[in-house]
Formats: sequence, structure tokens, C-alpha cells
Amino acid sequence: MDVSGILAVQAQKQKSIQVEKDIPLDIDVGFLTVTDLNPIDKESYEENLEAFLQSTARDGVQALLTSLFALPTKSSPDGPLAQLPPPTTQLPRAKPLPKPKPPTKWEKFAKAKGIQQTKREKKVWDEERQEWVDRWGWKGKNKEVEAQWITEVPANADIDFDPAKEARDARKARVAKNERQRLQNQARAQGGNAEREERKKDIERTLATSRVSTASMGKFDKKLDGEKKLRGVKRKFEPTENSVENEKNANLALLSKLGGESNRPRRDTGGGDDVVNVRKAVRFASKGQGSASLARKGGSDGKDRRKGKFKR
Amino acid sequence: MRPLTEDESKAVFSKLANYIGKNLIHLIDRPDEPYCFRLQKDRVYYVSESSMRLGISVARPNLVSIGTCFGKFSKSGKFKLHITSLDHLAQYAKYKIWIKPNGEMPFLYGNHVLKAHLGRITEDTPEHQGVVVYSMNDVPLGFGVTSRATVDTKKLDPTAIIVFHQADVGEYLRDEDTLF
Repeated sequence: MDVSGILAVQAQKQKSIQVEKDIPLDIDVGFLTVTDLNPIDKESYEENLEAFLQSTARDGVQALLTSLFALPTKSSPDGPLAQLPPPTTQLPRAKPLPKPKPPTKWEKFAKAKGIQQTKREKKVWDEERQEWVDRWGWKGKNKEVEAQWITEVPANADIDFDPAKEARDARKARVAKNERQRLQNQARAQGGNAEREERKKDIERTLATSRVSTASMGKFDKKLDGEKKLRGVKRKFEPTENSVENEKNANLALLSKLGGESNRPRRDTGGGDDVVNVRKAVRFASKGQGSASLARKGGSDGKDRRKGKFKR
Repeated sequence: MRPLTEDESKAVFSKLANYIGKNLIHLIDRPDEPYCFRLQKDRVYYVSESSMRLGISVARPNLVSIGTCFGKFSKSGKFKLHITSLDHLAQYAKYKIWIKPNGEMPFLYGNHVLKAHLGRITEDTPEHQGVVVYSMNDVPLGFGVTSRATVDTKKLDPTAIIVFHQADVGEYLRDEDTLF
């Protein structure tokens, strides 16, 4: 019985499993993705959109399934499973690239000096044991001196010199130093002691405030040695076209302050044009106690009161 | 151009008082015409009120000089007297020194005054006192600071320095461009 005719008819009904495209489809089996790069046929697109989309999708899925069935399979209780190859499409990274580590102090120095860092082997050859041993760590080479049963002692050593303890202390000190440097590098990487800077600024602000918080707003305060000028204080000058008379008086006042004895002719010292300087006369008569005491003395009981005061 | 601040005035006055002492009042309190001190750039000018008022209308970059330049403030805030102030200093000088004709030229070239050149000196001049230097015929030549008190100068040898040079009229030629 010849069934080829039936098969041919059947095959005509079914679409081909071979997808023919102008530009071959881009299949990434690892991601189970098909990309159709062909331009859209405008006529069929506008004629019937649904049919067009369906046929395009069908072609893509057909191509993907064809390539899936070509893959090697592995049997499992659920039936054969295709083994997907690693994906070929390069996907962009979801997260930004990690920032490069801030260089340590040594790295900076080495870069400035052009020192090439060589990788140090972790293992070193031990001549006595005839094997490779760790440079440090458990049974490390760096503990050799501490562990050996006999040690040379320098001639000028103390009586209680313990070479093992000495070596151990030196090693522990190296470890501590490295740890300290590591912490310092970490602190440096965090960016310039932000907290300390802030505290410094705070103190400066407080100091500036306290300097202008005296009765004279800091004008007549004693200046300390090396005291800095207040920042942010605007200089203020007298106007140039000020009356020269005022300026002269200010200058004369300054002069009298400068010289210990007053340089300025005494005009306003009381007394005026009289021959007797009243103020001076009062001072002389009251023996420097002022006119009020003179008035009291004029009264009869002035002296007695004073005496009583002294008795008590 | 602006008036001096109090600190600046203090610096100027204490410098001037070193030479003319209490006579400084006569500079500030003048009977003829009111005068004042003005600061322009870092120079201190001694100006009559009328010229000061005229000078107000000149813009600061355009104002080269006004009145008499008395000196300048250094960057560190010290005041330095210039030879241009000599006219006023010589007028009111408290302590004077006269130098012999053979000592004039060395002084005018900027050297210190030696004892050999000393003609006359005010009695009881103290040590480190600002003095005005005159020639023997009373022409002011400059000013300086005494190195010794008058009484101590007697013992000195002729080559010893008596007055440290500070300014002399030779600077009118030597420092012509920076003086005013």
C-alpha cells in the first residue's frame, strides 16, 4: 500500500518544521530566546494584524523547538530532559560596577615610587625538612626560631634572656603593627576624618561666638599671643568725607591714651577761666575724699559719726 | 582713600612720637588749616582738609598721590616713615644731631652716622631715640635712631656708629619710583 500520497497531502496541511526567513533567526537556546531580525512586511501587517503576529510567533517558536530537539538529552523520571548549552547573549549588568578599592598608604607610596609589587609565594622550601612549608600560619616558617630546641644567645644578653620569648614578642608586635596599619588604612579610606573636621568647625564657631560675647563685644579684650583674626567680620571704616574736627578730636584722644601723661591741653577739666582750679581745690581740701565728705564735715556731727564708725 | 583706623593711627602716631614727641599735637591740631591723615593703598598721606575734599572725587586707582606722603604700612601692619615726612619732622624734632660736612655724603648714600662725623648733638639724648640729622648749616638731611645715649658716646671710638640710618634725602634719587 502506498501511503506517500496521503503523507504528502498531510504534509501540505501541516506547516513545515523548517522555518525559512530572509535573515535567519537568532536563537539563543540557553535563554530559550529567539530574536527575529527581519523587517515587518507592511502589507500583511496592515491587512490582518492578529494573523501576522501569530504567524511570526509560530515561526519563532518552531525554530526554537527544532533547535531544542537537536540538543542532547538526559533521561529522568519525568521523561527525557534537554540539556541547555550556556547562553550566548551578553546581558547588561544589573548593578553598577564595584568601585575600585581605595589604595592603602603603601600602595600609594609604591605607585609614586614606581615599585612593582611581586606576588609572594605562600609556601617556602624548608631545607631541613626537605619539603614545602607555609610561610606563616600553623607550623609556619615564621615560628621557626620560637620552636627550635637550641638557640644562639648574643654575648651581651641578660641572664634571663629568653630567645623564644623574644622572637615570639617580635612576631606578635609585627602582627599588631599590621593590624594597626590596616585600621588606619580603613579609616583613611572612609574619607578624611569627617567627624573630627566637624568637631573642629564646631569648636571654632563656639570660640568665635564667645569672643564677641563680652560687654564690649570683644573690642577691649586682651589679645592673646598668636590669636587669629576673627573670620567673616567685615572691616568698617570711617567715611572719608567725615568732618575733620571729629577726626582731630578722636586723634587727640588717642594721643592722650598713647602717652602716659596727657599731651593734650586741659580745657574741660573744670575750673574754667578762674584762677583757682575748683576740682583740684576740693580734692586738696577734702584730702581726696570728694565734695560730699566736705559737706558732711561742715555739719557738727560729722566727725563724731566717723569716730563711731571706727570704734565699731 | 580713607581715614586711618584706630590701630593704624596708633602705629603712625607712636612712630611719629618717637621723633617729635609731644609736638605731634601741632601736626594734628594746626592753627592755620585743619589737616588730616589719609590712607591710600598702603601709604599714609598728611593732607589739608581742602585738598582731601578735592581728592575725594578722584577714583582710587587713579589717585597716585595726595598731600605729603608720611610713610607706608608694610604687609605685616608695621608703619615705616618715608623721607618725604622729613619737612614736618625737622620742624618739630625733639632731638637733633648735626653732622660735619665730611660726613654728609656718606650719610646721604645711606650709611650710618659715625662718631667721627658727629658735629653736635642734643644734650641728654637717650638710647634708641629717633633723631633728625642736620648738616652743620641746619639743613635737614634725614633721620635715624641713636645707638647710644649722649653721655655714652664720649667713650666710643671714632669709627663707632652713633645714629642708625633710617632715611635720608638721597632717597629722593635712589627710591624715586616707590617713594611717594
